Amino acid sequence: MSVKYIPVQWNPNKWYYDGIMLVGVAAFLWVFLYITPDALGHERPINPQIHNARAFGACAFTMLTVILCIGPLARLDHRFLPLLYNRRHFGVMTAFVAATHAGYILDWYFAFSSRSPVQGLLEANTSYGQIAGFPFEILGVFALICLTLLAATSHDFWLKFLTPPVWKRLHYLIYAAYAAVVGHVVLGILQDDRGIGVNLLFIGGAALVCVLHLAAWWQGRAEPMGIAATGWVQVAPVDAFREGFAKITKLPDGDRVAVFLHEGQLSAIANACAHQNGPLGEGKIVDCLVTCPWHGFQYDVRNGQSPAPFTEKVPTYLVKVEGGAVFVNPAANPPGTAVAPVPLEKGAT
Amino acid sequence: MSIAPSLIFFLQVWGGVGAGVALLFLAWGIDRIDEDARGAYVFRVLIIPGILLIWPLVLWRWWQLEAQSGRWLARYQPVRRAHGLAALAMSVAIALIVFFGLSARQDWPADIAPVRVETGS
Ligand code: FES
Repeated sequence: MSVKYIPVQWNPNKWYYDGIMLVGVAAFLWVFLYITPDALGHERPINPQIHNARAFGACAFTMLTVILCIGPLARLDHRFLPLLYNRRHFGVMTAFVAATHAGYILDWYFAFSSRSPVQGLLEANTSYGQIAGFPFEILGVFALICLTLLAATSHDFWLKFLTPPVWKRLHYLIYAAYAAVVGHVVLGILQDDRGIGVNLLFIGGAALVCVLHLAAWWQGRAEPMGIAATGWVQVAPVDAFREGFAKITKLPDGDRVAVFLHEGQLSAIANACAHQNGPLGEGKIVDCLVTCPWHGFQYDVRNGQSPAPFTEKVPTYLVKVEGGAVFVNPAANPPGTAVAPVPLEKGAT
Repeated sequence: MSIAPSLIFFLQVWGGVGAGVALLFLAWGIDRIDEDARGAYVFRVLIIPGILLIWPLVLWRWWQLEAQSGRWLARYQPVRRAHGLAALAMSVAIALIVFFGLSARQDWPADIAPVRVETGS
């Protein structure tokens, strides 16, 4: 959570996460370069420069694949949520690994060009009209630009400045980047390389990402919407509420509200966290504060405000109990508006 | 004629304008529109690359915040539908690329021995 911006937010958990990630990258490169130098199944001998380029390229692909699996995994099974916690550092690291791959390529294939290496890269092959021999490099360039853009806008400042929905839309570029990377690999190295390991890594990785995304999308699609009664939206019967937890309901306009039961009283706040729109209703209340399951921002459920000195706020909603059920008024109150909690009298009319 | 030089020139101009925007925004604008940035300076260095890349978006948001014209509720409306569509579009694109890419594979003529090309020959 932010009070005043600092360059990089680290805490013991993030150190731990980043440490494991760095060890993973180092191990991947080491295995690739020294333990099984033939892992790429090179049919013709290659020099160390190309080998390095391929190792970093394969590493970036694997990292991107893992990053893209984390989101749907966390949606399908909440035990994967901790992986989501520091995914941005993972993304920034991936951009660096991909840039190293590009650096090796430019330094080797275009180092002695009479033009600038980048110009050489853009002009070396312009057969865009065919699949065999397609200039696959351009797909890599596109993906690298996307990854750089995402890494460059990963600081919390950008989230607050652009607003989470705009930021998220911008960061959907990751999907375009991944499709481009798959194209870069399939139209590039896989045209030539029939080794089982390489094909499994690339095609298997891409298939896994697609299957997980489609499964998560399928699961989220069937979410029920609250039943509108006299303008108010029904959330759940009173018996369904558990102390310290929320029931989430979808409003007619598609927004979601989280209605919490705390000390026998109901309070409703927007389900979308002010940070990255994480699902607040999946968090648990401790001392009046609900903790966002994604990165741990906290809010007082009675007024939607983060505890001082933090300044984040989320909208609140009016709640009522009627006929043994709990309802919310779908008109959101401005972020941080205090609303008196409503006692949950079981069976109240 | 190749478009590569014009493309590179365009990128240079884009970055140049972005540098101007970055200077203006980080030295002056950011303090006006974000209270969390006041008194915090080191993090601004990390913001520069982003401004160079998406400066039109920066100018748009800056203007919106100065004019206080954005809808406050928009900040709390996650983009779920678009997410499903993006995931779907990516999966279809990947399936097509892998299918057509692998179909276009050619076999290396194994029976042709490599020939060393001599300089000047
Ligand atoms: S989305 Fe990041 S803390 Fe809630």
